[in-house]
Amino acid sequence: MNESENNFESLRRLLALKRHEIPPPGYFNNFPRQVMARLRAGEADVPQAIAAPSWLLKFFQAFEAKPAYVSSFACSLCLLLLFGIVYAERPDATEKSSIFSALAAPTVSLVDAKSAVYSSSPQPTGLMVNTNPVLSLEPVAMLFGQQNPLAQPVSLSLPGNN
Amino acid sequence: MAEPAARQDPESPAPVDEEALVRQARRGDLEAYDELVRRYQERIYATIYHMTSNHEDANDLAQESFIKAFQALKTFKGGSSFYTWLYRIAVNKTINFLKQRKNRSHMSLNDLDFNAEHDPDLVALISDKTPRREAGLAELQEKLNGAMLKLSEPHRLVVVLHDVQGLSHDEIAKIMDCNIGTVRSRLFYARQQLQGYLSDYLRPT
Repeated sequence: MNESENNFESLRRLLALKRHEIPPPGYFNNFPRQVMARLRAGEADVPQAIAAPSWLLKFFQAFEAKPAYVSSFACSLCLLLLFGIVYAERPDATEKSSIFSALAAPTVSLVDAKSAVYSSSPQPTGLMVNTNPVLSLEPVAMLFGQQNPLAQPVSLSLPGNN
Repeated sequence: MAEPAARQDPESPAPVDEEALVRQARRGDLEAYDELVRRYQERIYATIYHMTSNHEDANDLAQESFIKAFQALKTFKGGSSFYTWLYRIAVNKTINFLKQRKNRSHMSLNDLDFNAEHDPDLVALISDKTPRREAGLAELQEKLNGAMLKLSEPHRLVVVLHDVQGLSHDEIAKIMDCNIGTVRSRLFYARQQLQGYLSDYLRPT
């Protein structure tokens, strides 16, 4: 026990070296000024509502501390994105979504009927149809000089213009 | 309107009561708080520095500790001394910082003062009785700080507060919010660890 204490005594002497470590000259003259400047700059009065929430800070701090979290989070985001793309490309997914959208908006059938007249190509079902603007109900002049089948030439005669 | 801070007049040796300064600072008196910062800056800085072995980190953490303490002054009930309360804030901030910094630590050591070369204990350590005769004070300082960083934060803290800062077991227990037995056992274990790391530099008995 005494030997151990003696050994510790030697260690304590060595640890005394740390008391001789001093910061650069003048450091403690500037330190209070820096603290006061930060306090006067209003750092102390940042409302908690404006400051970043603590859970958010902890979330980012966890990322900062452990790169494995960052990579796993990025991987899961990529997987989620891939799943979303694959799911959107599936034909049964689009059919399902068209059924849902038809149920949600029954007037879409009118849009389908009108647009089928104007276009020879099969109309896509589902979301694309449903997102057509209502303006498409009006007959639209075709490009490249083709006549719109529903358009009729109008002869306008105004009285007194003969 | 806050009362003007009762600053220490060079002609009157009686120091201003700490409680009065705390009361004034709680009312937003920055001059009173400035006095408190001046009183405790060295001890707070030193504790953080010895924990981090990095001057820049110690500077940032010490400033943040004083700012945090000012923000939290309204919650200070006076159950313990302001000094102990301030220490607790600084210690918690430092330990949180060290947990985040894990594996990314690098030392930025302060210079040794002039007296180090004339300290008989230190001179004896680098004398011909030391196994590493060639060891200079700078090398010893680096090895010592490196060994300290190998300790866990609670063990390093008790060594810093007791063997470097000279605080009593009771004070350390209050700061660390644990019982004295825990402080003693941590100190014993930490010293044993340090002894192992620094065996080449310790003078045989």
